[in-house]
Amino acid sequence: MGGQTGFGPVPAGADAGPPFAADWEARVYALAAILRRRGLFNDDELRDAIERLPPQRYLAASYYERWLGALETLTAEKGVP
Amino acid sequence: MSYPVGARVRVRTGDPDHHTRMPRYVRGHTGEVVAVLGRWPLPDDRARGIDPPRVETCYAVRFSAADLWGSGDHTVTADLWESYLDRS
Repeated sequence: MGGQTGFGPVPAGADAGPPFAADWEARVYALAAILRRRGLFNDDELRDAIERLPPQRYLAASYYERWLGALETLTAEKGVP
Repeated sequence: MSYPVGARVRVRTGDPDHHTRMPRYVRGHTGEVVAVLGRWPLPDDRARGIDPPRVETCYAVRFSAADLWGSGDHTVTADLWESYLDRS
């Protein structure tokens, strides 16, 4: 589902606001960062897993909900208990 | 094939069944190389666990927004790997 148009502009710079809308988003980000640093996956595998979410889920999800979905996919596929 | 700054390049078409960093909205469009960014592993290979991945020169390619979307007087610049491109 990646690379589609129609999602509108991405706020950037002073208009962007705080980086996380809720604490859980920061935790998802931190979890992804530490798993990537430990070598469970690389950034392209994370992007690929985001794009492999079922289209209905992808379109209904917020940015970090997609990250969470991708982490569920990657930890299951790579055998993390 | 390598491209100097100023070269006109056309992004390939097609829809690979694996991850790629070639956005759909630039496929088939022609742009201008505005920077050569060095050599980087190909995301298409890294996403699939191909080890070692192909390593290619990456280019910043500038497009007219009006070309891509039919309106807009600004430009859009995308980082694109060499195998995504043909000389225009």
